[in-house]
Amino acid sequence: MATITAPAARRALPGLLKSRPAAKLLTLAVAAVILVPLLDSRWGSGHWPHALTVSLTGPLGDASDWVMNNRDSHPLFLYFFGHISNAVVLCVRGVYLALLAMGWVGVTALGALVAWRVAGVRLAAGTAVAFLACGALGMWLPTMQTLALMVAAVLASVAVGVLLGLAAGLSDRLDRALRPVLDTMQVLPAFAYLLPVVLVFGIGVPAAVLATVVYAAPPMARLTALGLRGADPEVLEAVRSLGATPRQRLLTARIPLARKELLLGLNQTIMMALSMAVIASVIGAGGLGDRVYQALASVDVGAALAAGIPIVLLAIVLDRVTGAAGRAADNTGESRRTVWLLALAGTAVAAVAARLLGRAEWPAGATLNIAEPVNHAVNWMTAHLYSGVPVIGGTADWAAHFTTWMLDPLRDGLRALPWWSVLLIVAALAWLIGTWRTALTATLAMAAIGVLGVWDSSLDTLSQVLAAVAVTLVLGIATGIAAARSDRVDRMLRPVLDVFQTMPQFVYLIPVVALFGVGRAPAVVAAVVYALPAVVRITAQGLRQVDPAALESARSLGATGRQQLWQVQLPLARRSLLLAVNQGVVLVLAVVIIGGLVGAGALGYDVAFGLAQGDLATGLVAGAAIVCLGLMLDRVTQPTGRAKKGA
Amino acid sequence: MTLTVPTRKPPTSAEGSDAPVFAVDGLWKVFGPKPGRVPADPALAALSPAELRAETGCTAAVRDVSFEVRKGEVFVVMGLSGSGKSTLVRCLTRLIEPTAGTIAIDGEDVRAMDRGRLRELRRHRAAMVFQHFGLLPHRTVLDNVAYGLEIQGMGRAERREKAAEVVAKVGLAGMEKRRPGQLSGGQRQRVGLARALAVDPEVLLFDEPFSALDPLIRRDMQDEVARLHSEEGRTMVFITHDLTEALKLGDRIALMRDGRVVQLGTPEEIVNSPADDYVREFVRDVPREQVVTCRTAMRPASLEEAGSGPAVRPEAPVAEAIEAVARAGEPARVMDHGTCMGVVDSDALLNVVAGTGTAAPAEREAEPTLVSAAPRPKAV
Repeated sequence: MATITAPAARRALPGLLKSRPAAKLLTLAVAAVILVPLLDSRWGSGHWPHALTVSLTGPLGDASDWVMNNRDSHPLFLYFFGHISNAVVLCVRGVYLALLAMGWVGVTALGALVAWRVAGVRLAAGTAVAFLACGALGMWLPTMQTLALMVAAVLASVAVGVLLGLAAGLSDRLDRALRPVLDTMQVLPAFAYLLPVVLVFGIGVPAAVLATVVYAAPPMARLTALGLRGADPEVLEAVRSLGATPRQRLLTARIPLARKELLLGLNQTIMMALSMAVIASVIGAGGLGDRVYQALASVDVGAALAAGIPIVLLAIVLDRVTGAAGRAADNTGESRRTVWLLALAGTAVAAVAARLLGRAEWPAGATLNIAEPVNHAVNWMTAHLYSGVPVIGGTADWAAHFTTWMLDPLRDGLRALPWWSVLLIVAALAWLIGTWRTALTATLAMAAIGVLGVWDSSLDTLSQVLAAVAVTLVLGIATGIAAARSDRVDRMLRPVLDVFQTMPQFVYLIPVVALFGVGRAPAVVAAVVYALPAVVRITAQGLRQVDPAALESARSLGATGRQQLWQVQLPLARRSLLLAVNQGVVLVLAVVIIGGLVGAGALGYDVAFGLAQGDLATGLVAGAAIVCLGLMLDRVTQPTGRAKKGA
Repeated sequence: MTLTVPTRKPPTSAEGSDAPVFAVDGLWKVFGPKPGRVPADPALAALSPAELRAETGCTAAVRDVSFEVRKGEVFVVMGLSGSGKSTLVRCLTRLIEPTAGTIAIDGEDVRAMDRGRLRELRRHRAAMVFQHFGLLPHRTVLDNVAYGLEIQGMGRAERREKAAEVVAKVGLAGMEKRRPGQLSGGQRQRVGLARALAVDPEVLLFDEPFSALDPLIRRDMQDEVARLHSEEGRTMVFITHDLTEALKLGDRIALMRDGRVVQLGTPEEIVNSPADDYVREFVRDVPREQVVTCRTAMRPASLEEAGSGPAVRPEAPVAEAIEAVARAGEPARVMDHGTCMGVVDSDALLNVVAGTGTAAPAEREAEPTLVSAAPRPKAV
């Protein structure tokens, strides 16, 4: 039945699409014809009209002053936020001290043994090497600081996420209420979360941990709910038919059945927590991120790299080990407990032995200073590759050209557009791709940016995003097609994509600064590199999942490879392509914002400036604009009835 | 494919005097907005499914169904998909809450049970076997089988010991440590069966248990159920869409269509005297000689016939008599405990196979075949 009706539905679809976009556009055009003259005569065109902005700087400044003044006296802070803050500090401090007490031998042994139990010998060796490399780079203490912060943040994220996920998984009403919130939280750039937290907790470890929790808990909640809801209904019915109480049903069936999703959620939460723990260095997280941040601020690429490598190693190890735990979810048994105990005992023995030998701290002589050689190399590059290379120019030249020929015209063009036409374009795009709801949200979000009075810098950010997305999509979809059509390309790309997808956003800035210096172009390049793997993945996956029967029938009719691609694969993979665009946009925005730290200016710079100068009002407004921009970009590219995320 | 009808299980001595295990009366299950009004309003209740949906937006999955399940019998509910049979069996333990009507188990009103009592019912009195097995993929075979006992709060050692016995009983000995993912479909359903058996329920409910299995395995499993039934005599309610399966396993069959029971009777009654055209169409291709018994096919014996010829049991299928008659070349006597009840000759047997000329004996038996609240004692 299904195979008979499906092609018919597909054939009907293009016709439907042909008429519906026309109707949507017509409606919009009519609305525009009526509204635009009105708006134009009232407020003029060009930039966002001043009359329509609401300055929040004053009230926000007052609020931030009030918080500053009352942080030590008001009961809200004393009895609520104060306790949270203290608990976080205690927890992080406790973990940090424990890690230090174990010494580098103990930590490495523990990491390797856990990896061995969960994922086998190869990963265990990899883990050990990764930890030793962190030490060898002279980054043992920052690594432990980051790790301590992560442990605290991940524990809290998992607790919060599982609770929310249980609620959403068991109650339909809560699910309806939570889902849009969680969906939206997942598309917002990490930077947007920093300022509200800083407003309440001030700069420091508690703010960093809480920002991380807010950023990392949603995937856990989403996947927990998904797992609970995705359980085989017949299994649950069977459990019910045996007379299980709701509690028994939850503990013996629903949660174990959701195990895969729970472990995937843990994996994603850990990765996002790492990403955020690094970014949160700008609000006082300390550790590796802070080293990178300080180094980038003084364009000391060597030092940035020395701190960046441990981040990457940590990311890869954490991702592989938790990922393997998810895949091995089936093996449970009594024998495991004893092996775990043995592993723990082994760790303890190693730690105590090292301590007795007086080797708890990383030996001072055993560090490798890579900063200087790297800086030499960078200097050489600056001297020889930046510009003036015959024929091909230099990296700095490229960046300059990219800025002059692509970013500047785009930004100026956007700014030259009448404000209402920007809204109109947003509405039209969002409605064509999605529903009137998404269109409305997108338009309102864009309008909110104008109202906030950051129209200009937002358009600056938007121009960078658009340029980066264009490049990402061209490269990503082309690569995705290649990977989908050739198994060899796919095999070659897979490990590269795996590594790239696990790295925190922050790390991408390091090589880019080394190659292109600072400015808007490097930020765009970093964004492209960051978003590319996801776009490639989703495109290739979508193309590969195209119904083989449709492809076979096209082949049997004698279609050439080109015809197959254009007439069968791409149209049938439309949903995946839209999802790739959506993901590309969301990921690009996240990095473009962070690019504010390396001279990309615009909204990201406003946030960083606000943080650095203690001018929270400016930062908060910029943060709100980032939220609006993220919301707008997500909704504009959101296909109807979006598929669940996962790459 | 031959249809082998296993010998019907020996009757329990006190049969007929016992109260029915399940007594269902006027049962309705309506899905949709304000379902309660449909059974309450005779005008709505009389509508056809399409009219009902147009009028109220409701779907009546089970419409005014009444039957009794007697102790020790295999009661088959048979119908095509969408006929409401799966909904019906779920109503019995209120996995689906009925809309109207009464259900009694051993005389106790199921619909009046509170949560604790209902749980008791599900834990100890009625266990179900599901079409897609409903096994817990993260548990071993043994732990899956012991799951019902675990739910009851039985200790680990005790429940595992008991589960191991049942695992052996369904022929899975040696596979206790495997997980459902490592088993074939037939083996998984054996686990499902074992899980239901482990709690030692009064009634076993089967919801199309073998539909997902391939034909050979299905026959194995049917034989397994028939064997378990003949060994233990446990009451079973068996849902199926497969007529062959229904005829093979059922002591009595309720045939459902659009939520109603269109005929209720022994396999022989259903095959021999279909209640309406729908049932007739349904049973058209049934190999009648496998279902119709000699008791139905026989005619009174003349004096000389009663003295000689091969003997067959009255409950033996006609196929058996055909073989006997063909070998001996003369009519076979139908013997019940040494007395000759009649004979079957080749004409009578041919009539059975051709589906002609059985009207007279069928008429005799036809009266109780209609849906009746009072089941008659089983023909033996």
